[in-house]
Amino acid sequence: MTVLDLLFDASFLASVPRFVTPILLAALGGAICERAGVFNIGLEGMMLTGAFFAVVGAYFSSSAFVGALAALVSGALMGAIFAEFNLRRGGDSIVVSIAINLLAAGLSTFLLGAIFHVAGAFNDPAIAGLEPVHIPLVEDIPVIGHVISGQSPLFYLALLLVYALHVFFARHRLGLRIRAAGENPAALTAGGVNPLWVQAIALLMCGALCGLAGAQLSISNVNLFVENMSAGRGWIAVVAVLLTRGRPWPLFFIALLFGAVDSLSFRVQGVGLPQQFTDMMPYLATLIVLTALSWWRMRRQA
Amino acid sequence: MTVRSESLFSGDLLPWIYTLAWILAILFGLMLLVNAPFGDALSGFMAGAFGGRRWAYLMATLSRATLIIGMALSVMISFRAGLFNIGGEGQLVAGGLVSALVAILLPGPPLLVLAVAILAGMAAGALWALLAGVLYIYVGVPLLVGSLLLNFPIRYIASYLVAHPFRDVQSGMVQSHLVPEGTWLAYFPGVRLDVGILFIVATSIFAIVYSHTTLHGYRARLNGLSADFARAVGLPVTRLTLQTLATSGAIAGLVGAIAVFGIHHRYIDGMLVQPLYAWTGIITVLLVGMIPWLVPFSGFFFAAIQTGAAGMERSAGVPKDIALVMQAVIILFVASRVSGAILSSQNKAKGGDDGA
Amino acid sequence: MHAALKDIRVTFGPLIAVDSVSISIGAGEVHAVVGENGAGKSTLMNVLFGLIRPDAGSIEIDGKQRNWTSAQDAIRAGLGMVHQHFMLQEQMTVLENIVLCGEPVNRFGFVDFKGARKKLAEGFKEHGITIDLDATVSDLAVGQRQVVEILKMLYRDARLLILDEPTAVLTPQEKDRLFGILRSFARSGRSIIIITHKLDEVVEIADRVSVMRGGKLISTGPLKDTSKDRIAREIIGGDLPPPIKPLARAPGETVLSVKGLVVKSRDTSVGPLSFDVRAGEIVGIAGVSGNGQAELIQALAGLRSITSGEIALSGNRIDRLDVAARRRAGQSYIPEDRQRVGLALGATVAENANAGRDDVSGFVRGPFLNRPAMARYARAIIDRYRIKVGSASALASTMSGGNKQKLVVGRELTRETPLVIAENPTWGVDIGAIELIHAELVRMRDAGHAVLLVSTELDEILRLSDRILVMYSGSLSDEIAAADADRNRIGALMTSRADAALRNVA
Repeated sequence: MTVLDLLFDASFLASVPRFVTPILLAALGGAICERAGVFNIGLEGMMLTGAFFAVVGAYFSSSAFVGALAALVSGALMGAIFAEFNLRRGGDSIVVSIAINLLAAGLSTFLLGAIFHVAGAFNDPAIAGLEPVHIPLVEDIPVIGHVISGQSPLFYLALLLVYALHVFFARHRLGLRIRAAGENPAALTAGGVNPLWVQAIALLMCGALCGLAGAQLSISNVNLFVENMSAGRGWIAVVAVLLTRGRPWPLFFIALLFGAVDSLSFRVQGVGLPQQFTDMMPYLATLIVLTALSWWRMRRQA
Repeated sequence: MTVRSESLFSGDLLPWIYTLAWILAILFGLMLLVNAPFGDALSGFMAGAFGGRRWAYLMATLSRATLIIGMALSVMISFRAGLFNIGGEGQLVAGGLVSALVAILLPGPPLLVLAVAILAGMAAGALWALLAGVLYIYVGVPLLVGSLLLNFPIRYIASYLVAHPFRDVQSGMVQSHLVPEGTWLAYFPGVRLDVGILFIVATSIFAIVYSHTTLHGYRARLNGLSADFARAVGLPVTRLTLQTLATSGAIAGLVGAIAVFGIHHRYIDGMLVQPLYAWTGIITVLLVGMIPWLVPFSGFFFAAIQTGAAGMERSAGVPKDIALVMQAVIILFVASRVSGAILSSQNKAKGGDDGA
Repeated sequence: MHAALKDIRVTFGPLIAVDSVSISIGAGEVHAVVGENGAGKSTLMNVLFGLIRPDAGSIEIDGKQRNWTSAQDAIRAGLGMVHQHFMLQEQMTVLENIVLCGEPVNRFGFVDFKGARKKLAEGFKEHGITIDLDATVSDLAVGQRQVVEILKMLYRDARLLILDEPTAVLTPQEKDRLFGILRSFARSGRSIIIITHKLDEVVEIADRVSVMRGGKLISTGPLKDTSKDRIAREIIGGDLPPPIKPLARAPGETVLSVKGLVVKSRDTSVGPLSFDVRAGEIVGIAGVSGNGQAELIQALAGLRSITSGEIALSGNRIDRLDVAARRRAGQSYIPEDRQRVGLALGATVAENANAGRDDVSGFVRGPFLNRPAMARYARAIIDRYRIKVGSASALASTMSGGNKQKLVVGRELTRETPLVIAENPTWGVDIGAIELIHAELVRMRDAGHAVLLVSTELDEILRLSDRILVMYSGSLSDEIAAADADRNRIGALMTSRADAALRNVA
């Protein structure tokens, strides 16, 4: 089976959105922080937190919606913690980011044992999963029908958010102020607006979106929680934000690319390559894209 | 990017008391969550960190502390130079893997093999760090992201190599063969602690002396404080930056070699990644605001938290990941308590100057 | 609006920045607050605008006492301030910058840009202002950016406008346009306060003048009751420094020779430039910041590669050499940014002083540093340049701006190289340090060194240069001898291409 056969396989295309969604949602969250001037590389931790609490919420309430909500709230809380220690107490944002990542890893595993009394993974049929959304007529279109229809509700939300964020930055008061906080916060202060509040709100929004990204992993792609479930996707989102400087539309395309590679690596596992190589693929791809784009940018500036 | 080590102890005691109160409150809150019997938990922690038959657990703590302090040293060299190299994990793995494989494959008298293997491991670590450095200087890939992303491929390559070509199939586990017994590092008399710690001590002393008393160290330090300044006065900035990164990587490689020859005597899949040595090394440095002489204490502190938590799990059933949570909490509270910004990340704070 | 500051006192630790100052401004009045750097003028105005809380004293607006808790209060009361460093969002449009922090919003928080445009259009008509509301600020010239700042105040219906050193970055033509706008504002009943140290402008536009020195108010009153000379003396607190005497000897050999230098980058193209600097002369390149001076300097220093052309030092080509080689070939560089490029603030004074030193053997023993030798070298510079610092082993960051600059200048000039490149060497520095640095540059010239002075401060160029060139939009004008230099002619050259400008000069 050649690579081309793999790529043009309809079921492969239909699986891409599942991998794009977490990266895109987290990257959109990261974009808000980036525009606001908050250097947040704790997306991995926020995503992991969301993944865990999505399962907690979905399990105890038997409702996937509650699970998603729990993911959103827990992510936002992580954002609040970031804001507290970085904005209010003045801790360096890289240090706080590292702490958030470690906190999420430790807390999720700790609570896995404390709440569910298991180690490694929690898998239970009582975990309510997000039902895919089927769009009646679209579904019947050959090839792309199942790409556009039958996906997680979070996928459609992510697509909507790309457009919404674009409009938000251009025409909404808060969006304008976020951009100002990221570019010249002193000017905001001189104008009487405290940039720290603006950045705090940006962090809450970012945390919420990363939380939802985690929910996609644990109550949509699969219905369980595994230790360190985010598996580096938060870092890929960080790279995506960095490459696009937080602009929604370019971000969408980069997330699409990374999600496709992620999906491809999953697919390729069945073809006989050792697992370590397929696990490595998303990171290598990210590194290659990062290198290529940085190289191009450097040439342009010379 | 500039880096300053500010005094930890400026100001009054009261904020520290509040911080301690918060940290303890969170700790007890978590323990309450799992209905842990406090007495058992506390004694379990103490035993796990400092006790054990013939001090076995204390030795384990010291052993772990050695690796953490080594990684902290590696990280500190980069951070003090303003280089945000967080690829320590990758450099560590490269060093451990290469040193183990060299020891297994290279014939010869054990001490010579050991020496070559350690040097090879350091070279591997240095090269992996240089890779991130080259991407940074010649391609423009931000060092932070580049070094971090490189952690993953090397981890998987190492995993593959000990799972297939170099696997010790008979042992049934995913690991390499044992390295020749003659290369195993000696223990201190009477205890189960290898002499790896001496390597780290020697390296630390060397590093400090070097950067403050030699011309090259002085130049590297100036380059770290301000690359623009270094460039304007004619220092070879590119060379100095790459040298600093290579040094960082070499030390990480050394730590990997110590883990192989002192503790596990082989390369086991995940043995360097699972315990989070590299990340602990980073927070060790951050905790003490990069003041060099405090790093050993900080490293020992975190090592004790980790082994103590394992003890707490054994005796009171508290999941040992409480250690990771508490470490993160401590970093959040203390790293932001340390006066002044330790590191200025993307947006440099513009220094004050005479105003009108 | 009528505003009064009564007995304002501001201290920063042991430093008394403002010492019981009282000033009043009437409606429709243009009030100039003058003084040198560090006199306390900006601090006083920051109190009026609510950015700083005074330790003592009160603020009265239209007869009522007000207590600001933040700038927002002052803005709401009708005050506006344009700072020396513009508070603009470079990547946002003019319109976005104007409405920011005072955005007209609908129920959901979306900004009503159309309404804002309408309101501004009226203001444009009344005061004769023209600007493209959809232009990105980073594309605008400095004078235009200032207009954006002023429009921000206009949009918020400010009745009292404070401008901090508004003409520091303007060409003479832009300054005229600004003053026209300000007079129009004053006619409409607004009050204007200008903080400045340029007495020509005070005489041109102010109705009343207040002089500050060392935090104290020296005098305040109508302009017609005082004179430029008297104000100058009040500012300095004594007699004016003697003018620099030109050198009797003629300049010697060519030290720096630049031929057809072109420096291209992504968005700018500088050159082709050709000029010489000879031994025993100071060549000054004047120009408004951003016209290619930075690229020229970087190309000369070796920090930027050139696209084509030749640079020769004492007859030897250096354009292919790196920074270290050029320094060895005989050039020194005093950079404009002392915080980042001139010094390593985290290192000690001694370490900084020895950083660019050529004779490495003078401060090393084998591979090791010879710290006592380093300290001795640093102390010599500290003594000679009268640098105020605790000791040679103090961190460079502990020094004030003027002392930092003296260290940079001292370090570079001590090398006694044939060529000295000085880039805005006295920017943001107190008057004592300015005098010393200028004297040292002249001493170098008199001793036969070649000095290239690139400065955005026209006064400095006029004071020190033997020959003047003007840089505009990446090209150099023909040279002007010091004797023939006159402000208006140079100002014209600073804003238009040399040929066109010369046509306008009588």
